Amino acid sequence: MKNNDQRSSLIWLLIGLAIAFFSRKYNLGTASSPGPGFLPFVSGAAMACLALVVFIQQIPKKKDTLKSLWANKRWLAVPIVMASLVVYAILLSTLGFILDTFLLTAFLLRVMEPLGWGKVLAGATGATLGSYAVFHLWLEAQLPAGFLGF
Amino acid sequence: MDIVANVMLGFQVALQPANLFFCFMGVLIGTLVGVLPGLGPVAAMSLLLPTTFHLSPVSAVIMLSGIYYGAMYGGSTTSILVNIPGEAASVITCLDGYQMARKGRAGAALGIAAFGSFIAGTLSILGLMLLAPMLADVALKFGPPEYFSLMLLGLVIVTFLAGSSMPKALLMAAFGLFLGLIGMDIMTATPRFTFDIYFLMDGVGLVPVVMGLFGISEVLLNLESKLEREVFETKIKGLLPNRQDWRDSAWPIARGSVIGFFLGILPGGGAVISSFVSYGVEKKLSADPEKFGTGVIAGVAGPEAANNAAAGGAFIPLLTLGIPANAVMAMLLGALTIYGMQPGPMLIKEHPDLFWGVVTSMYIGNIMLLVLNLPLIGVWVKILKIPYEYLFPLILLFCLIGAFSLNNSVGEIGLMLFFGGVGYLMKKFDYEAAPLVLAMVLGPMMENALRQSLIMANGSAAIFVTRPISLAVVVLVLALLILPMLPWVKKKREVIAEIVE
Repeated sequence: MKNNDQRSSLIWLLIGLAIAFFSRKYNLGTASSPGPGFLPFVSGAAMACLALVVFIQQIPKKKDTLKSLWANKRWLAVPIVMASLVVYAILLSTLGFILDTFLLTAFLLRVMEPLGWGKVLAGATGATLGSYAVFHLWLEAQLPAGFLGF
Repeated sequence: MDIVANVMLGFQVALQPANLFFCFMGVLIGTLVGVLPGLGPVAAMSLLLPTTFHLSPVSAVIMLSGIYYGAMYGGSTTSILVNIPGEAASVITCLDGYQMARKGRAGAALGIAAFGSFIAGTLSILGLMLLAPMLADVALKFGPPEYFSLMLLGLVIVTFLAGSSMPKALLMAAFGLFLGLIGMDIMTATPRFTFDIYFLMDGVGLVPVVMGLFGISEVLLNLESKLEREVFETKIKGLLPNRQDWRDSAWPIARGSVIGFFLGILPGGGAVISSFVSYGVEKKLSADPEKFGTGVIAGVAGPEAANNAAAGGAFIPLLTLGIPANAVMAMLLGALTIYGMQPGPMLIKEHPDLFWGVVTSMYIGNIMLLVLNLPLIGVWVKILKIPYEYLFPLILLFCLIGAFSLNNSVGEIGLMLFFGGVGYLMKKFDYEAAPLVLAMVLGPMMENALRQSLIMANGSAAIFVTRPISLAVVVLVLALLILPMLPWVKKKREVIAEIVE
């Protein structure tokens, strides 16, 4: 493997092939009367072909490594933030909007650029109550209440 | 004159207090997201879409449009003062705008950007008023085969104009097409690729995908690369450009407006590309092109006019054909469908209050923007100085609430986070999200048009090349696919790609 375009194109190749393969489960129909599987099959096949084109185009190009994409980056930031958002989604209906949101914003304010606890608490409280007021009270979005009843 | 009566109707609609309010909210939010880096108009519109469900469709579209052209204004502020474009269409403004600011002429640069945008916005609205009804009349003659070919053309143009690699952009379009097809097949009621997940039956929602690809992923990228922003510390004075400035910018603004309007009609990144083209044209026509990049006012006026004019032009394909020209218009299409309106040639006739109301509101919005951006520039500068550590939890929180309130379902949040991760990796590996979003919206429409065409022709695909309009479009599609392989075109595209980078 030489460079990142080739690495990514291989992944797209696999995705394309999988889409085309599983489309056959649905009726493909014929070119004159396409079934529900027809266009998904075509799009998957097109993805696979285009991924191959990208791969081949890159053969004469210069090498690089996966690591180069994350050079001089705080690479941990992304998994940490993503994980916190997933946990937020999972806990949302159990904890309720207010508690869950408070915990998330406090965590995010503290973890990236460690602010003082005072600022973290103030920021998280403000963000939670502010968004609750705007979205729940004003725009009437139905936000989950959770086990504490709010 | 018909048009006078229509414009009067439009103003009647747009001047209703509620609509004035939503127009103001739209341009205000638009300016805000334009100023804030890492949150563009597409993400902002998808965020606010769920909140518009209980508005009247006209008010909702007025507000969503305001966000779009408001962002074009706001984006220039950060380009000039911080050398960071608030959104892609103001990248080129950094070149001369920031240099002007460093020479103490920030005021004039901001002023000409605002006035240029205002003039161009106004001109393109006039163009929209004149051209859209005419085009809609022509489009009435189109049948499913023409629509299918046109949508194909739209997708190919988007990928042709996409940054560097056309195969990569086409790959994204194919993936988007697939995503658009997930869910219940309308003709046979077969659930496709739903994995027995209930909320996928209705298809993959556009809003969570867009929020993930344009909102979450952008925040992730900003977080890992520790955004350093230094607002240029200078007293902003003299927002009114002087007489010499006007002499130097009058023609660039006029040319930028025309370039922007017509490039805006084309599918794909109209605003971005037109600003680059305008800059190139001004440099070429200038008596001393070597001065460009050192703070020439024409280098601010032209591109800023162009990106605003393009914002107007981009409405034409949506309002006349029902085919969105870019990701923002795809969002509007989604919105209109939710409100039960079918964008297309009949839209202007069936909902004149919507079309003329929205168009005239854009005019009013442009005046509001002038007021928001010139006297209140100090407020935006203050917002620019808010550290990102405080901002990003809020942006993420808005995305979470926005996704959840679509259907009161955690599933939509999951979908958004998934596409946030996908979008992050796509940006890392240099794949564009715009063709994906456009293809996703067009997917079901294309499938319908394809099937209807084949039914019309008793199953013969020849129908796409035997009808003259469709044939012409198909030839254009093939030309666009083959052109990039020709050596001299390839070279030109590489040069352009380098400039864009």
